[in-house]
Amino acid sequence: MNTKKAQRPLPQPTETTRPFWNAANEHKLMLQYDPDSRCYQFYPRMTSVKTGKRNLEWRQASGKGTVFSFTDTYVPVAGFEDIAPYALVMIDLDEGVRILANYKNYKSEHMKIGQRVRVTWEKVSDDITMFAFEPDV
Amino acid sequence: MKNHMAARDVAIVAYGETKIERRSGKTPYELAAICMEEILGKTGLKPADIDGFATNVAHSDSINQYYTTYLCDYLGLTPRWMQVSDHGGGAALAGLSRAVMAVQAGQCEIALVLCSDSPTTVWRGANGGFRLEWWDPTGIQGPPGGFGLLMHRYMAQYQLESKALGKLAVAQREGAVLNPLAFEGFRKPLTIQDYLDSRVISTPLRLLDCVMWCDGAAGVLVTSVERAKKIKGAKRIFPTAYSEIVNFNGREAQPDITESGFSVVGPEALQKAGLKPSDIRQFQPYDDFLIAEMIQLEQIGFCRRGQGSEFLLNTDVSYRGTLPINTGGGQISAGQIGLASGMTNLVEAVRQMCGEAGERQITDPRNAMVTGIGIIPYGRNWYVSIAAILEH
Repeated sequence: MNTKKAQRPLPQPTETTRPFWNAANEHKLMLQYDPDSRCYQFYPRMTSVKTGKRNLEWRQASGKGTVFSFTDTYVPVAGFEDIAPYALVMIDLDEGVRILANYKNYKSEHMKIGQRVRVTWEKVSDDITMFAFEPDV
Repeated sequence: MKNHMAARDVAIVAYGETKIERRSGKTPYELAAICMEEILGKTGLKPADIDGFATNVAHSDSINQYYTTYLCDYLGLTPRWMQVSDHGGGAALAGLSRAVMAVQAGQCEIALVLCSDSPTTVWRGANGGFRLEWWDPTGIQGPPGGFGLLMHRYMAQYQLESKALGKLAVAQREGAVLNPLAFEGFRKPLTIQDYLDSRVISTPLRLLDCVMWCDGAAGVLVTSVERAKKIKGAKRIFPTAYSEIVNFNGREAQPDITESGFSVVGPEALQKAGLKPSDIRQFQPYDDFLIAEMIQLEQIGFCRRGQGSEFLLNTDVSYRGTLPINTGGGQISAGQIGLASGMTNLVEAVRQMCGEAGERQITDPRNAMVTGIGIIPYGRNWYVSIAAILEH
Protein backbone atom coordinates (compact mmCIF):
# COMPACT_ATOMS: atom_id res chain seq x y z
CA MET A 1 0.00 0.00 0.00
CA ASN A 2 1.25 3.43 -0.91
CA THR A 3 0.96 5.53 2.22
CA LYS A 4 2.99 8.45 0.93
CA LYS A 5 0.69 11.43 0.52
CA ALA A 6 1.27 14.01 -2.17
CA GLN A 7 2.37 17.35 -0.79
CA ARG A 8 0.64 20.59 -1.64
CA PRO A 9 2.77 22.35 -4.31
CA LEU A 10 4.61 25.32 -2.81
CA PRO A 11 5.84 28.47 -4.51
CA GLN A 12 9.58 28.65 -5.13
CA PRO A 13 10.44 32.35 -4.75
CA THR A 14 12.77 33.90 -7.31
CA GLU A 15 14.97 36.96 -6.98
CA THR A 16 12.07 39.04 -8.29
CA THR A 17 9.35 37.56 -6.08
CA ARG A 18 11.22 37.09 -2.78
CA PRO A 19 10.09 40.49 -1.40
CA PHE A 20 6.48 39.38 -1.91
CA TRP A 21 6.93 36.13 0.01
CA ASN A 22 9.08 37.71 2.73
CA ALA A 23 6.30 40.25 3.33
CA ALA A 24 3.68 37.50 3.23
CA ASN A 25 5.41 35.89 6.20
CA GLU A 26 4.65 39.15 8.05
CA HIS A 27 1.04 39.12 6.77
CA LYS A 28 1.61 42.00 4.39
CA LEU A 29 0.30 41.86 0.83
CA MET A 30 2.80 43.62 -1.41
CA LEU A 31 2.19 44.58 -5.03
CA GLN A 32 4.49 45.84 -7.74
CA TYR A 33 3.75 49.43 -8.73
CA ASP A 34 4.83 50.98 -12.01
CA PRO A 35 5.25 54.73 -11.39
CA ASP A 36 5.67 55.48 -15.12
CA SER A 37 2.25 54.06 -15.95
CA ARG A 38 0.80 54.77 -12.48
CA CYS A 39 -0.60 51.26 -12.12
CA TYR A 40 -0.04 48.03 -10.24
CA GLN A 41 0.66 44.67 -11.80
CA PHE A 42 0.22 41.08 -10.62
CA TYR A 43 1.89 38.56 -10.73
CA PRO A 44 5.30 40.15 -10.01
CA ARG A 45 7.77 40.33 -12.88
CA MET A 46 11.23 41.69 -13.60
CA THR A 47 9.79 44.46 -15.79
CA SER A 48 6.56 46.40 -16.22
CA VAL A 49 4.23 44.88 -18.82
CA LYS A 50 3.29 48.46 -19.81
CA THR A 51 6.76 49.93 -20.31
CA GLY A 52 9.11 46.95 -20.49
CA LYS A 53 11.31 48.71 -17.94
CA ARG A 54 12.57 47.58 -14.54
CA ASN A 55 11.29 50.77 -12.94
CA LEU A 56 8.99 49.07 -10.40
CA GLU A 57 8.50 49.57 -6.69
CA TRP A 58 6.86 47.47 -3.99
CA ARG A 59 3.86 48.95 -2.24
CA GLN A 60 1.73 47.42 0.47
CA ALA A 61 -1.83 46.74 -0.68
CA SER A 62 -4.97 47.26 1.36
CA GLY A 63 -5.79 43.57 1.11
CA LYS A 64 -9.35 44.54 0.22
CA GLY A 65 -11.17 43.58 -2.92
CA THR A 66 -14.22 42.08 -4.62
CA VAL A 67 -14.98 38.56 -5.84
CA PHE A 68 -14.69 38.68 -9.65
CA SER A 69 -15.44 34.97 -10.04
CA PHE A 70 -15.26 31.72 -8.07
CA THR A 71 -15.25 27.95 -8.48
CA ASP A 72 -15.72 25.05 -6.09
CA THR A 73 -13.23 22.29 -6.87
CA TYR A 74 -14.86 18.88 -6.50
CA VAL A 75 -12.04 16.90 -8.11
CA PRO A 76 -8.98 17.90 -6.05
CA VAL A 77 -5.45 18.09 -7.37
CA ALA A 78 -2.70 16.12 -5.61
CA GLY A 79 -2.00 17.51 -2.15
CA PHE A 80 -5.50 18.98 -1.69
CA GLU A 81 -7.50 15.76 -1.20
CA ASP A 82 -8.17 16.39 2.49
CA ILE A 83 -9.94 19.71 1.99
CA ALA A 84 -12.06 18.92 -1.12
CA PRO A 85 -14.36 20.39 -2.17
CA TYR A 86 -12.50 23.64 -1.81
CA ALA A 87 -13.27 27.11 -3.09
CA LEU A 88 -11.10 29.26 -5.30
CA VAL A 89 -11.77 32.92 -5.89
CA MET A 90 -10.54 35.40 -8.42
CA ILE A 91 -10.34 38.71 -6.59
CA ASP A 92 -10.23 42.17 -8.09
CA LEU A 93 -8.14 44.06 -5.56
CA ASP A 94 -9.00 47.68 -4.90
CA GLU A 95 -5.55 48.61 -6.26
CA GLY A 96 -6.64 47.43 -9.70
CA VAL A 97 -5.13 43.97 -10.13
CA ARG A 98 -6.64 40.48 -10.19
CA ILE A 99 -5.40 37.68 -7.94
CA LEU A 100 -6.31 33.98 -7.66
CA ALA A 101 -6.52 32.51 -4.17
CA ASN A 102 -8.19 30.05 -1.84
CA TYR A 103 -11.40 31.22 -0.12
CA LYS A 104 -11.65 30.80 3.65
CA ASN A 105 -14.06 31.33 6.56
CA TYR A 106 -17.09 31.87 4.35
CA LYS A 107 -20.75 30.90 4.47
CA SER A 108 -22.59 29.87 1.33
CA GLU A 109 -24.18 33.33 1.01
CA HIS A 110 -20.66 34.80 0.66
CA MET A 111 -19.92 32.63 -2.37
CA LYS A 112 -20.98 35.17 -4.94
CA ILE A 113 -19.59 37.57 -7.48
CA GLY A 114 -19.39 41.06 -6.01
CA GLN A 115 -18.76 39.88 -2.43
CA ARG A 116 -16.35 42.19 -0.59
CA VAL A 117 -13.33 40.33 0.78
CA ARG A 118 -10.14 40.90 2.75
CA VAL A 119 -6.84 39.05 2.70
CA THR A 120 -6.10 36.34 5.23
CA TRP A 121 -3.02 34.19 5.66
CA GLU A 122 -2.21 30.50 5.87
CA LYS A 123 1.22 29.25 6.91
CA VAL A 124 1.86 26.28 4.64
CA SER A 125 5.57 25.61 5.34
CA ASP A 126 8.46 27.00 7.35
CA ASP A 127 9.22 29.48 4.57
CA ILE A 128 5.89 30.12 2.89
CA THR A 129 2.75 31.86 4.07
CA MET A 130 0.05 31.72 1.39
CA PHE A 131 -2.38 34.57 0.85
CA ALA A 132 -6.06 33.67 0.88
CA PHE A 133 -9.26 35.70 1.11
CA GLU A 134 -12.28 35.73 3.42
CA PRO A 135 -15.52 37.71 3.40
CA ASP A 136 -15.06 41.26 4.69
CA VAL A 137 -18.03 41.19 7.06
CA MET B 1 -3.88 43.48 -42.26
CA LYS B 2 -2.45 41.75 -45.34
CA ASN B 3 -3.91 38.34 -46.23
CA HIS B 4 -1.09 35.99 -47.24
CA MET B 5 -3.64 33.42 -48.42
CA ALA B 6 -5.54 35.69 -50.82
CA ALA B 7 -3.75 34.43 -53.95
CA ARG B 8 -4.96 30.82 -53.48
CA ASP B 9 -1.56 29.64 -54.67
CA VAL B 10 -1.12 27.01 -51.94
CA ALA B 11 -3.63 24.27 -51.09
CA ILE B 12 -4.25 21.39 -48.73
CA VAL B 13 -3.97 18.40 -51.07
CA ALA B 14 -4.38 15.45 -48.67
CA TYR B 15 -5.19 14.61 -45.07
CA GLY B 16 -4.80 11.71 -42.69
CA GLU B 17 -6.08 10.77 -39.25
CA THR B 18 -5.59 7.82 -36.93
CA LYS B 19 -8.22 6.20 -34.76
CA ILE B 20 -8.59 8.16 -31.49
CA GLU B 21 -7.91 5.87 -28.53
CA ARG B 22 -7.42 5.89 -24.77
CA ARG B 23 -4.16 4.32 -23.61
CA SER B 24 -3.27 3.31 -27.16
CA GLY B 25 0.11 2.01 -26.00
CA LYS B 26 1.67 4.01 -28.83
CA THR B 27 4.18 6.85 -28.66
CA PRO B 28 3.59 10.11 -30.55
CA TYR B 29 6.30 8.94 -32.98
CA GLU B 30 4.38 5.74 -33.76
CA LEU B 31 1.06 7.57 -34.16
CA ALA B 32 2.68 10.14 -36.45
CA ALA B 33 4.09 7.36 -38.60
CA ILE B 34 0.66 5.74 -38.99
CA CYS B 35 -0.84 9.09 -40.02
CA MET B 36 1.95 9.86 -42.50
CA GLU B 37 1.60 6.39 -44.03
CA GLU B 38 -2.04 7.19 -44.86
CA ILE B 39 -1.11 10.51 -46.51
CA LEU B 40 1.71 8.90 -48.53
CA GLY B 41 -0.65 6.10 -49.59
CA LYS B 42 -3.24 8.58 -50.87
CA THR B 43 -0.71 10.67 -52.82
CA GLY B 44 1.87 8.12 -53.97
CA LEU B 45 4.58 10.29 -52.40
CA LYS B 46 7.64 9.00 -50.57
CA PRO B 47 9.24 10.48 -47.43
CA ALA B 48 11.98 11.94 -49.67
CA ASP B 49 9.37 14.05 -51.48
CA ILE B 50 8.36 15.90 -48.31
CA ASP B 51 10.71 18.82 -47.76
CA GLY B 52 8.75 20.78 -45.16
CA PHE B 53 7.53 19.66 -41.76
CA ALA B 54 5.51 21.28 -38.99
CA THR B 55 4.23 19.79 -35.76
CA ASN B 56 3.07 20.57 -32.21
CA VAL B 57 4.81 20.27 -28.88
CA ALA B 58 3.51 16.97 -27.48
CA HIS B 59 2.53 16.42 -23.83
CA SER B 60 3.87 12.92 -24.35
CA ASP B 61 7.40 14.20 -25.08
CA SER B 62 7.47 17.91 -24.24
CA ILE B 63 10.42 17.65 -21.87
CA ASN B 64 12.53 16.51 -24.83
CA GLN B 65 13.85 19.67 -26.42
CA TYR B 66 14.79 17.90 -29.67
CA TYR B 67 11.37 16.38 -30.32
CA THR B 68 10.69 17.69 -33.81
CA THR B 69 14.06 16.64 -35.19
CA TYR B 70 13.79 13.18 -33.63
CA LEU B 71 10.34 12.91 -35.17
CA CYS B 72 11.69 13.78 -38.64
CA ASP B 73 14.32 11.08 -38.13
CA TYR B 74 11.66 8.56 -37.07
CA LEU B 75 9.57 9.34 -40.16
CA GLY B 76 12.49 9.36 -42.60
CA LEU B 77 12.06 13.04 -43.46
CA THR B 78 14.88 15.41 -44.41
CA PRO B 79 13.05 18.76 -44.42
CA ARG B 80 14.51 22.02 -45.71
CA TRP B 81 11.99 23.87 -43.55
CA MET B 82 10.88 22.78 -40.08
CA GLN B 83 8.51 24.31 -37.53
CA VAL B 84 7.27 23.41 -34.06
CA SER B 85 4.41 25.45 -32.66
CA ASP B 86 3.66 25.78 -28.97
CA HIS B 87 0.36 27.62 -29.36
CA GLY B 88 -1.28 24.87 -27.29
CA GLY B 89 -4.44 23.81 -29.09
CA GLY B 90 -3.69 26.43 -31.73
CA ALA B 91 -0.60 24.55 -32.92
CA ALA B 92 -2.31 22.79 -35.85
CA LEU B 93 -3.58 25.99 -37.46
CA ALA B 94 -0.38 27.87 -36.61
CA GLY B 95 1.54 25.12 -38.42
CA LEU B 96 -0.81 25.32 -41.41
CA SER B 97 -0.41 29.10 -41.75
CA ARG B 98 3.36 28.91 -41.46
CA ALA B 99 3.51 26.02 -43.95
CA VAL B 100 1.59 28.09 -46.50
CA MET B 101 4.10 30.92 -46.01
CA ALA B 102 7.05 28.55 -46.30
CA VAL B 103 5.78 27.16 -49.61
CA GLN B 104 5.07 30.67 -50.91
CA ALA B 105 8.55 31.81 -49.89
CA GLY B 106 10.17 28.88 -51.66
CA GLN B 107 11.57 27.42 -48.44
CA CYS B 108 9.99 24.09 -49.32
CA GLU B 109 7.69 22.58 -51.94
CA ILE B 110 5.64 20.02 -50.04
CA ALA B 111 4.99 20.56 -46.35
CA LEU B 112 3.52 17.98 -44.01
CA VAL B 113 1.67 19.55 -41.08
CA LEU B 114 1.28 16.61 -38.73
CA CYS B 115 0.11 16.77 -35.14
CA SER B 116 0.54 13.80 -32.82
CA ASP B 117 0.30 13.16 -29.09
CA SER B 118 -0.39 10.29 -26.72
CA PRO B 119 -0.79 11.76 -23.23
CA THR B 120 -2.83 8.78 -21.99
CA THR B 121 0.04 6.41 -22.81
CA VAL B 122 3.12 8.50 -22.02
CA TRP B 123 3.13 11.62 -19.85
CA ARG B 124 6.27 13.71 -20.29
CA GLY B 125 4.69 17.14 -19.90
CA ALA B 126 5.74 20.08 -17.75
CA ASN B 127 4.37 23.52 -16.98
CA GLY B 128 6.37 26.57 -16.06
CA GLY B 129 5.90 30.31 -16.18
CA PHE B 130 3.44 31.78 -13.69
CA ARG B 131 1.89 28.41 -12.96
CA LEU B 132 4.48 27.07 -10.54
CA GLU B 133 4.39 30.07 -8.24
CA TRP B 134 0.94 31.63 -8.60
CA TRP B 135 -1.44 28.99 -9.93
CA ASP B 136 -0.55 25.44 -8.83
CA PRO B 137 -0.10 26.38 -5.12
CA THR B 138 -3.80 27.31 -4.94
CA GLY B 139 -4.93 23.79 -5.85
CA ILE B 140 -6.81 24.93 -8.94
CA GLN B 141 -7.93 22.02 -11.10
CA GLY B 142 -6.02 23.06 -14.24
CA PRO B 143 -8.16 23.90 -17.27
CA PRO B 144 -11.48 22.84 -15.65
CA GLY B 145 -10.74 25.25 -12.79
CA GLY B 146 -9.90 28.06 -15.18
CA PHE B 147 -13.04 27.43 -17.22
CA GLY B 148 -15.15 27.11 -14.05
CA LEU B 149 -14.07 30.65 -13.13
CA LEU B 150 -14.74 31.86 -16.66
CA MET B 151 -18.17 30.20 -16.83
CA HIS B 152 -19.37 31.63 -13.50
CA ARG B 153 -18.38 35.07 -14.70
CA TYR B 154 -20.18 34.53 -18.01
CA MET B 155 -23.30 33.53 -16.04
CA ALA B 156 -23.08 36.74 -14.00
CA GLN B 157 -22.81 38.93 -17.08
CA TYR B 158 -25.10 37.09 -19.51
CA GLN B 159 -27.90 34.58 -19.69
CA LEU B 160 -26.57 31.02 -19.83
CA GLU B 161 -29.05 28.23 -20.52
CA SER B 162 -27.61 24.87 -19.51
CA LYS B 163 -29.81 23.11 -22.01
CA ALA B 164 -28.27 25.15 -24.84
CA LEU B 165 -24.86 23.71 -24.01
CA GLY B 166 -26.54 20.33 -23.60
CA LYS B 167 -28.00 20.63 -27.10
CA LEU B 168 -24.53 21.34 -28.51
CA ALA B 169 -23.12 18.31 -26.64
CA VAL B 170 -25.88 16.11 -28.07
CA ALA B 171 -25.32 17.36 -31.64
CA GLN B 172 -21.57 16.73 -31.46
CA ARG B 173 -22.15 13.28 -29.96
CA GLU B 174 -24.37 12.46 -32.92
CA GLY B 175 -21.40 13.21 -35.17
CA ALA B 176 -19.10 11.02 -33.07
CA VAL B 177 -21.52 8.08 -33.35
CA LEU B 178 -21.14 8.38 -37.14
CA ASN B 179 -17.37 8.91 -36.99
CA PRO B 180 -15.49 5.60 -37.11
CA LEU B 181 -12.29 7.34 -35.96
CA ALA B 182 -13.86 8.79 -32.78
CA PHE B 183 -12.95 7.29 -29.41
CA GLU B 184 -15.10 4.13 -29.18
CA GLY B 185 -16.32 4.95 -25.67
CA PHE B 186 -18.01 8.08 -27.02
CA ARG B 187 -19.77 6.38 -29.93
CA LYS B 188 -23.13 6.09 -28.19
CA PRO B 189 -25.85 8.76 -28.21
CA LEU B 190 -26.23 11.30 -25.44
CA THR B 191 -29.31 13.15 -24.19
CA ILE B 192 -29.58 16.67 -22.83
CA GLN B 193 -30.53 15.06 -19.51
CA ASP B 194 -27.25 13.07 -19.53
CA TYR B 195 -25.44 16.37 -19.88
CA LEU B 196 -27.42 18.03 -17.09
CA ASP B 197 -26.93 15.03 -14.79
CA SER B 198 -23.17 14.66 -15.34
CA ARG B 199 -21.13 15.23 -12.19
CA VAL B 200 -19.59 18.55 -11.31
CA ILE B 201 -15.82 18.88 -11.67
CA SER B 202 -15.23 22.52 -10.76
CA THR B 203 -18.44 24.54 -10.38
CA PRO B 204 -20.37 25.24 -12.54
CA LEU B 205 -18.48 23.00 -14.98
CA ARG B 206 -19.86 19.49 -15.47
CA LEU B 207 -17.99 16.44 -16.72
CA LEU B 208 -19.76 16.63 -20.09
CA ASP B 209 -18.68 20.26 -20.52
CA CYS B 210 -15.11 19.02 -20.81
CA VAL B 211 -12.88 17.13 -23.19
CA MET B 212 -11.20 13.89 -22.24
CA TRP B 213 -7.60 13.21 -23.15
CA CYS B 214 -6.88 10.54 -25.73
CA ASP B 215 -4.08 9.50 -28.08
CA GLY B 216 -3.96 10.06 -31.81
CA ALA B 217 -2.47 11.85 -34.78
CA ALA B 218 -3.84 13.80 -37.71
CA GLY B 219 -2.30 15.89 -40.46
CA VAL B 220 -2.59 17.69 -43.75
CA LEU B 221 -0.28 17.97 -46.74
CA VAL B 222 0.28 21.45 -48.15
CA THR B 223 1.79 22.40 -51.50
CA SER B 224 1.56 24.87 -54.36
CA VAL B 225 -1.16 24.57 -56.97
CA GLU B 226 1.59 23.97 -59.54
CA ARG B 227 3.24 21.14 -57.61
CA ALA B 228 -0.17 19.63 -56.83
CA LYS B 229 -0.71 18.91 -60.54
CA LYS B 230 1.89 16.16 -60.30
CA ILE B 231 0.46 14.56 -57.14
CA LYS B 232 -1.92 11.61 -57.43
CA GLY B 233 -5.42 12.31 -56.16
CA ALA B 234 -4.47 15.77 -54.94
CA LYS B 235 -7.38 17.75 -53.47
CA ARG B 236 -7.61 21.52 -53.73
CA ILE B 237 -8.79 22.86 -50.40
CA PHE B 238 -7.59 26.45 -50.07
CA PRO B 239 -6.85 28.11 -46.78
CA THR B 240 -8.08 31.59 -47.71
CA ALA B 241 -7.80 33.50 -44.43
CA TYR B 242 -5.93 33.19 -41.16
CA SER B 243 -5.66 35.39 -38.09
CA GLU B 244 -3.99 34.67 -34.78
CA ILE B 245 -3.50 36.57 -31.55
CA VAL B 246 -1.35 35.46 -28.62
CA ASN B 247 -1.55 36.74 -25.03
CA PHE B 248 -4.80 38.57 -25.69
CA ASN B 249 -5.33 41.49 -23.24
CA GLY B 250 -1.81 40.77 -22.00
CA ARG B 251 -1.17 44.23 -20.52
CA GLU B 252 -4.58 44.51 -18.84
CA ALA B 253 -4.75 43.85 -15.09
CA GLN B 254 -8.52 43.43 -14.76
CA PRO B 255 -9.94 42.63 -18.21
CA ASP B 256 -13.34 41.09 -18.93
CA ILE B 257 -12.51 37.37 -18.66
CA THR B 258 -15.37 36.49 -21.02
CA GLU B 259 -13.76 38.56 -23.79
CA SER B 260 -11.53 36.37 -25.97
CA GLY B 261 -9.12 37.03 -28.80
CA PHE B 262 -11.87 35.83 -31.13
CA SER B 263 -13.40 39.29 -30.85
CA VAL B 264 -10.33 40.36 -32.86
CA VAL B 265 -9.41 37.39 -35.07
CA GLY B 266 -12.95 36.18 -35.88
CA PRO B 267 -14.19 39.32 -37.66
CA GLU B 268 -10.70 39.86 -39.11
CA ALA B 269 -10.52 36.40 -40.73
CA LEU B 270 -14.02 36.83 -42.18
CA GLN B 271 -13.10 40.23 -43.56
CA LYS B 272 -9.93 38.82 -45.14
CA ALA B 273 -11.98 36.15 -46.90
CA GLY B 274 -14.73 38.60 -47.84
CA LEU B 275 -17.33 36.49 -46.04
CA LYS B 276 -20.07 37.13 -43.49
CA PRO B 277 -20.83 34.72 -40.63
CA SER B 278 -24.01 33.69 -42.47
CA ASP B 279 -21.85 32.59 -45.46
CA ILE B 280 -20.04 29.96 -43.36
CA ARG B 281 -21.31 26.48 -44.27
CA GLN B 282 -19.63 24.58 -41.42
CA PHE B 283 -18.02 25.69 -38.17
CA GLN B 284 -15.32 23.46 -36.72
CA PRO B 285 -14.38 25.35 -33.55
CA TYR B 286 -11.73 24.31 -31.08
CA ASP B 287 -13.75 22.68 -28.31
CA ASP B 288 -11.93 22.00 -25.09
CA PHE B 289 -15.07 23.14 -23.23
CA LEU B 290 -18.60 23.75 -24.49
CA ILE B 291 -18.65 27.29 -23.09
CA ALA B 292 -15.60 28.10 -25.25
CA GLU B 293 -17.67 27.30 -28.34
CA MET B 294 -20.49 29.56 -27.20
CA ILE B 295 -18.05 32.41 -26.62
CA GLN B 296 -16.60 31.87 -30.10
CA LEU B 297 -20.06 31.92 -31.72
CA GLU B 298 -20.72 35.28 -30.08
CA GLN B 299 -17.38 36.93 -30.63
CA ILE B 300 -16.80 35.77 -34.20
CA GLY B 301 -20.23 37.19 -34.96
CA PHE B 302 -22.56 34.24 -35.57
CA CYS B 303 -24.78 35.88 -32.96
CA ARG B 304 -24.61 38.87 -30.66
CA ARG B 305 -22.69 39.01 -27.38
CA GLY B 306 -24.65 37.22 -24.68
CA GLN B 307 -27.02 35.61 -27.20
CA GLY B 308 -25.15 32.30 -27.48
CA SER B 309 -27.75 30.30 -25.57
CA GLU B 310 -30.60 31.63 -27.66
CA PHE B 311 -28.64 31.01 -30.88
CA LEU B 312 -27.88 27.40 -29.96
CA LEU B 313 -31.45 26.70 -28.90
CA ASN B 314 -32.79 28.13 -32.18
CA THR B 315 -30.21 26.66 -34.59
CA ASP B 316 -29.75 23.10 -35.83
CA VAL B 317 -26.00 22.64 -35.32
CA SER B 318 -25.95 18.95 -36.24
CA TYR B 319 -24.47 17.77 -39.54
CA ARG B 320 -27.96 18.16 -41.06
CA GLY B 321 -28.34 21.69 -39.80
CA THR B 322 -28.04 25.26 -41.02
CA LEU B 323 -24.75 25.74 -39.16
CA PRO B 324 -23.13 22.32 -38.66
CA ILE B 325 -20.72 22.46 -35.71
CA ASN B 326 -17.95 19.92 -35.07
CA THR B 327 -19.57 17.33 -37.30
CA GLY B 328 -17.17 14.51 -36.38
CA GLY B 329 -17.88 14.92 -32.68
CA GLY B 330 -15.26 17.58 -32.16
CA GLN B 331 -12.77 16.97 -29.42
CA ILE B 332 -15.46 16.78 -26.76
CA SER B 333 -17.10 13.74 -28.35
CA ALA B 334 -14.27 12.27 -30.46
CA GLY B 335 -11.55 12.68 -27.81
CA GLN B 336 -8.83 15.29 -27.29
CA ILE B 337 -5.57 13.99 -28.75
CA GLY B 338 -3.37 15.91 -26.34
CA LEU B 339 -1.77 18.99 -27.87
CA ALA B 340 -2.37 17.60 -31.36
CA SER B 341 -6.03 18.32 -30.72
CA GLY B 342 -6.59 21.29 -33.01
CA MET B 343 -5.85 19.06 -36.00
CA THR B 344 -9.00 17.04 -35.23
CA ASN B 345 -11.17 20.09 -36.02
CA LEU B 346 -9.11 21.02 -39.10
CA VAL B 347 -9.07 17.54 -40.63
CA GLU B 348 -12.84 17.19 -40.15
CA ALA B 349 -13.36 20.43 -42.10
CA VAL B 350 -11.09 19.20 -44.91
CA ARG B 351 -12.78 15.79 -44.97
CA GLN B 352 -16.21 17.43 -45.27
CA MET B 353 -14.96 19.66 -48.07
CA CYS B 354 -13.65 16.59 -49.90
CA GLY B 355 -17.11 15.02 -49.59
CA GLU B 356 -15.64 12.09 -47.68
CA ALA B 357 -17.49 12.38 -44.36
CA GLY B 358 -19.74 9.38 -45.01
CA GLU B 359 -23.01 9.27 -43.10
CA ARG B 360 -22.34 12.65 -41.48
CA GLN B 361 -21.56 14.44 -44.76
CA ILE B 362 -22.97 17.96 -44.88
CA THR B 363 -24.82 18.99 -48.03
CA ASP B 364 -22.97 22.21 -48.91
CA PRO B 365 -19.31 22.01 -47.87
CA ARG B 366 -18.10 24.87 -50.01
CA ASN B 367 -16.25 26.48 -47.11
CA ALA B 368 -15.41 26.08 -43.43
CA MET B 369 -14.29 28.13 -40.49
CA VAL B 370 -11.84 26.31 -38.21
CA THR B 371 -10.45 27.70 -34.97
CA GLY B 372 -7.74 27.07 -32.42
CA ILE B 373 -7.54 27.94 -28.73
CA GLY B 374 -4.45 27.74 -26.60
CA ILE B 375 -3.52 27.82 -22.95
CA ILE B 376 -5.02 29.41 -19.85
CA PRO B 377 -3.45 32.59 -18.47
CA TYR B 378 -3.62 34.18 -15.03
CA GLY B 379 -6.93 35.97 -14.50
CA ARG B 380 -7.77 36.50 -18.14
CA ASN B 381 -9.43 34.65 -21.02
CA TRP B 382 -7.38 32.04 -22.98
CA TYR B 383 -4.01 33.13 -24.40
CA VAL B 384 -4.24 32.07 -28.05
CA SER B 385 -7.13 32.56 -30.46
CA ILE B 386 -6.81 31.53 -34.09
CA ALA B 387 -9.43 31.64 -36.82
CA ALA B 388 -8.94 30.19 -40.29
CA ILE B 389 -11.18 29.90 -43.32
CA LEU B 390 -11.02 27.17 -45.94
CA GLU B 391 -12.68 27.38 -49.34
CA HIS B 392 -12.93 25.32 -52.51
